[in-house]
Amino acid sequence: MNYDCIIIGGGLAGLTCGIRCLEAGLNTVIISDGMNALHFSSGSLDVAGYDGKRRVVTSPFEYIQKLSKENPGHPYAKIGVKTVKESIDYIRDQLAAEKLPLFSNGESNHFHITALGTKKPTYLSQTSVYNERIKEAFERKAPIAVLNFEGYRDYFRNICAENLKNQSLMKDVQITTGLIKLPYYSRTEKNLHEFRSIDLARIFDNERYLPRIAEEIKKSAGNAEIVSLPSFMGITNSTTVHRRLEEMTGKLIYETPSLPPSILGMRIDTALKHRFAALKGIFSLGDKVTEASVDGGSVEYLRTQNNAETPFRARFYVLASGSFFSGGLRSEFNRLEEPIFGLKFHGDQKRSSWYSQKFFDDASHPFLGFGVETGKYLQPLGRDGKTIKNLYCAGSILARYNPIKEASGSGVAIAAGYFAAQRIIKECGKVR
Amino acid sequence: MIGGGATGSGILRDLSLRGIKAVLVEKDDIASGTTGRNHGLLHSGARYAVNDLDSARECISENRILKRIARHCIEDTGGLFVSLPEDDPQYHNHLLEGCRFAGIDAKELSQKEAFSIEPNLNKGILKAIRVPDGTIDPFRLASSNILDAVERGAGIFTHTRVTGVIRQGDAVAGIRCRTSAGEEMEIYGDLLINASGVWGQHVCNLAGIELKMFPSKGSMLIIDYRVNNVVVNRCRKPSDGDIIVPGDTVSLIGTTSKKIDYGRIEYLTVDDDEIEVLLRDGEQLIPNVSKTRALRAYCGVRPLVAVTGDVSGRDISRGIVLIDHEHRDGAKNFITIAGGKLMTYRLMAEWTTDLACRKLSVNKKCTTHKTPLPGSEKKLSPKKRIKSFTGIPNSVVGSTLYRHGRRVLNILKSDKRNYRLICECEMVTEGEIEYAIKNLNVRDIVDLRRRTRIGMGPCQGELCAYRCAGLFNVYGGASATDTTLLLRDFLEERWKGIKPVLWGDGLRESEFTYWIYEGLFGLSQLEATEKPSMGDRD
Amino acid sequence: MIQLENISFDHCIKCTVCTIYCPVAKVTHLFPGPKWSGPDAERLRIKNPELVDASLKYCTNCKRCEISCPSDVKIADIIQDAKWKYVKRGFFRPRDFFMSRTDLVGTLATTFSWIANFFLNILPVKFAMEFFLRIPMGRSFPAYQQGTFARRFKKRHKGQSAFPRQVTYFHGCYVNYYNHRLGDDLVRVLNAMDTGVRIVREKCCGVPLIANGYLEKAGKNARFNIKQLTSALMDEETSVVATSSSCSFALKHEYRNLLGLDNSAMFDRTDYITKYLYRMFESGNVPRMKPVHIRAAYHSPCHLERLGGVIYTIDVLKRIPGLDLVILHSECCGIAGTYGFKKEYYDISQQVGSQLFKRIDEVSPEFVVTDCETCAMQIEMNTPYKVLHPVNLLAMALEE
Repeated sequence: MNYDCIIIGGGLAGLTCGIRCLEAGLNTVIISDGMNALHFSSGSLDVAGYDGKRRVVTSPFEYIQKLSKENPGHPYAKIGVKTVKESIDYIRDQLAAEKLPLFSNGESNHFHITALGTKKPTYLSQTSVYNERIKEAFERKAPIAVLNFEGYRDYFRNICAENLKNQSLMKDVQITTGLIKLPYYSRTEKNLHEFRSIDLARIFDNERYLPRIAEEIKKSAGNAEIVSLPSFMGITNSTTVHRRLEEMTGKLIYETPSLPPSILGMRIDTALKHRFAALKGIFSLGDKVTEASVDGGSVEYLRTQNNAETPFRARFYVLASGSFFSGGLRSEFNRLEEPIFGLKFHGDQKRSSWYSQKFFDDASHPFLGFGVETGKYLQPLGRDGKTIKNLYCAGSILARYNPIKEASGSGVAIAAGYFAAQRIIKECGKVR
Repeated sequence: MIGGGATGSGILRDLSLRGIKAVLVEKDDIASGTTGRNHGLLHSGARYAVNDLDSARECISENRILKRIARHCIEDTGGLFVSLPEDDPQYHNHLLEGCRFAGIDAKELSQKEAFSIEPNLNKGILKAIRVPDGTIDPFRLASSNILDAVERGAGIFTHTRVTGVIRQGDAVAGIRCRTSAGEEMEIYGDLLINASGVWGQHVCNLAGIELKMFPSKGSMLIIDYRVNNVVVNRCRKPSDGDIIVPGDTVSLIGTTSKKIDYGRIEYLTVDDDEIEVLLRDGEQLIPNVSKTRALRAYCGVRPLVAVTGDVSGRDISRGIVLIDHEHRDGAKNFITIAGGKLMTYRLMAEWTTDLACRKLSVNKKCTTHKTPLPGSEKKLSPKKRIKSFTGIPNSVVGSTLYRHGRRVLNILKSDKRNYRLICECEMVTEGEIEYAIKNLNVRDIVDLRRRTRIGMGPCQGELCAYRCAGLFNVYGGASATDTTLLLRDFLEERWKGIKPVLWGDGLRESEFTYWIYEGLFGLSQLEATEKPSMGDRD
Repeated sequence: MIQLENISFDHCIKCTVCTIYCPVAKVTHLFPGPKWSGPDAERLRIKNPELVDASLKYCTNCKRCEISCPSDVKIADIIQDAKWKYVKRGFFRPRDFFMSRTDLVGTLATTFSWIANFFLNILPVKFAMEFFLRIPMGRSFPAYQQGTFARRFKKRHKGQSAFPRQVTYFHGCYVNYYNHRLGDDLVRVLNAMDTGVRIVREKCCGVPLIANGYLEKAGKNARFNIKQLTSALMDEETSVVATSSSCSFALKHEYRNLLGLDNSAMFDRTDYITKYLYRMFESGNVPRMKPVHIRAAYHSPCHLERLGGVIYTIDVLKRIPGLDLVILHSECCGIAGTYGFKKEYYDISQQVGSQLFKRIDEVSPEFVVTDCETCAMQIEMNTPYKVLHPVNLLAMALEE
């Protein structure tokens, strides 16, 4: 099979890259071994949340500029703040076109509230998580009701509410809790007590039950102005559901991500995949690259598990196969590697240096910063130590940044995916 | 009573059965020390049959007793001693002979017969011996003893550290202790029994008495699922990595042995070279071991007591040391029981309680060898099982029954909320968690794990930790803020055992758990309330 | 006794993604989902086979869990395995027996096709089938054709050996008993590509047997087919093709993974038809085609997704001039072979497919195109649209 561009990995980085390539008219395929990590993400897009000393970053782009000087190995430093900003705006537009508008606090970070009642800095949030009106209501210390669905085992309202009360900003804010009964909603009588977030989301993917749930919310929230709920507003229609629920209840409602699967993350995944399909991109799910032929400093072809006989060829390749979790990186007893190409790896091979002694160590864990070593255009080095010219890397396979400690995972994924696409488009001479 | 291990809980039960009012103080949790840190083998005694016939006889006799009284803590899997080409063939014969002397029912098997019993064995084995080994869950065993004792009127304080022994002249009158919340208390009684295992040296010191322990560290490895269904021993002189025990849903590879300083017993870690040895030798018994995810590694301390020389106590048996300090040190009303093994905990309890009865002039005979532990009384008939649990998935009923025996009737209800799954790896329901929190002296999520198996499966608490924290708030009366701290402590405790085996799927799992609890939940941000707050949003 | 054939469950990191994409768990509480039934419960079943849950019978084996799994766990295989290894078989079910004996029933029915078709569609018979055999009344059956494709092949397609290239065609039961036209169209398309078609004696590929638990009989059929096809492949340069995506999935993967047979001699040269066509087209062997001016909606069958064959079908379809192709969002149609023909699963089967039917309606095509025969039956029964195989479309585009 012949393409202009083959992307290995269908996560945030791969999809960003793929959509941009398709837009530019490149014949693009994504080969994805299973579903991506968006299914477990917060659904807010972080750019840079914490600095090296774990202080909260207020203006992420200013911070990136500073970071580029201090830490030239960081993917952001290679991509450059201008492209980072451009890429984030790009994805935001793409999602808005798919009816998933995102809120940003100007060029500054804002906080979204977690299921534990802590807060995490982020750059873009879905409007059902954070928006101007909720921001304003928080600031004037409007009363909050933390609600949960009765029997839902993946969210506990008391924990969220109590920890929220301990936050300094929430001082003197009235925070109450309440339960919402889920009556016999869905056609099947699935045990309410075995619900996962996805089952909730399916009930509210359409607007059929909104009047009833609105009534329940009003009843349980009392005089609270703001209502917090675990994410439940469906996958494809959340913006409308959110708007209508707020109209019906007369309250401000925000969603909190709970245990996986993440409804908020799946919305982004669904929207981007829809966009990719609409641009006639080919998404080969459940297939795995098993062999890569590299010769003379460039990739010749790939073979996959399902198509062992037919090699996949392209002018350019993007490796966005994720971190250890997604299989982009592999660890064995005292050994680390990138399994497809055997690319030059950044990370100490000695196992005892992979982790910190405490799980919640201030320094986080070294293995999260491991990955593929790349040059200034995010091109990796092959087995022979030479740069592979038609291969770019994007997303968490990249080394020298810690997506969780920095709260920069989605930002790096988007920026690197976009950066790779721009390079490929330029080299294909097909800029639209 | 000091010490909530198998011996301590066994003594507490024996005392209660004989009508003696007792209270037990444990610095951590039931079975959190040596008791919970071994490979959970129900010895047939065959392992000792070559070198130590008396121990072998004790083992097989206790083995038969435990199969009667602790049915739900035990799985009668059977065991094999397999010989590999490099092993001394004579050992095989010595073992058979030893078993015959000790009265252990051992049968010589051909290679083919061995495979029909355990198809996953190394294809290169030469021959095998079948012995009545089994598996025993030490957490359940200790907890059941405590449960029975408490139901008979005994008291228990876990997470309470003994800070001093109160002496009145030459007699011991009681102890001073401090709870985890920092409360001080004094407990007085007619007799103090020190059953704190390797920590017994420290307790004796508190009473101003010298006792010397020689701790030795043993490390073990847990792998994701049962790679074997019967206990597999290497038929050679005892050494590192010579046994694989199927324990509940997992298999354990044991054990290494390293002498350590007494001062280090609280700070033990598993070393990388030990893991290498266990994996390498484990693979020689069952090849699948190397293909299987290692879930965690842990280590325990064997409490070897100096029997001769400086100890003048009565050396009753090989390994078991019962000291009446009145005779040895002139300290009245003070007994120390030490040494021994998990297998002989009941016997040790019997002897200790016999001595206690003599000292307290109570004339009652021991009945622990014939009184079943709570849960092991009568088997649940299939009819009753169907009647009680219709609608609840088989895997859930079966797992709960396995863990709690007949007490399953107090745990599982047909109310849907009751049987919703909290731990999906080990099929632990909300009902079981409620039962454990309310009835089994659970103080934190780590304790809860020992009573139920939450967080002990392949995900090591990734999904259930948060759910358990939520339920702790609902049933345990802990404030939501405290619960969050318990959640963090639980994940830190899991990490201790995970990090020595952090590679492959285990590393992927940890990355995922870290995403959830740090990335998604911001758990470490909890203390950050005084750092930049939400007011800085603009 | 513990069996350790498929130990991929060991890689499961409990991410719950498979439960999201399970079409059955989506519509019914009776199935707790692939994570529970597969990797979670497998550890327990290894500990004690009695811990098996009866609920795993609701799995349709659509394999969407495996496609979405980021850890390469063969979830559906684990469930299928467990189904037959641990669940106690009840008494003899005539329905399952006859439904899985496609060759036996097909040979009989095609001999007296009009009688069979008449009776299968009258109310009292349908009522009796629901009552006695637990085959739902609502389900309509495809009509049997008179005679089998295999028997009529020689007469209808003469001079095949004269072509410079040869292909062995595994027609499968569907073409043999129900849809001769598809077989004929394939011959036409391949002939237009200078390729002759031959058939060998074959037995049902075994998919319905596997689904109903007759693994032994399936193995027998499989060995027969492997032998036949391997000997047909003796001469170089030839391939085996199948127009049924399920048959080709069985020939390649179920034989190897589920039945544990050695099919390596034919593995690399056996393909679902569109993959073969794609290779031929790429090498320049394209038949002459005229524009068709048709709007068609393409539904990708689950098993073809699992095989990774969808990209070839799409590629082949895209080459048909004048075809306005809409690719439907990939989801299960719900029939899952014989699953939807059983009363106890009928409602679930219909609910699973409902989303797909709605989407087809939204597209409002002239034809629906799909690779799988049972998907076609399900869609034809539930929507007003005629369903074609990609090969049918190609044949329509051929220049005479």
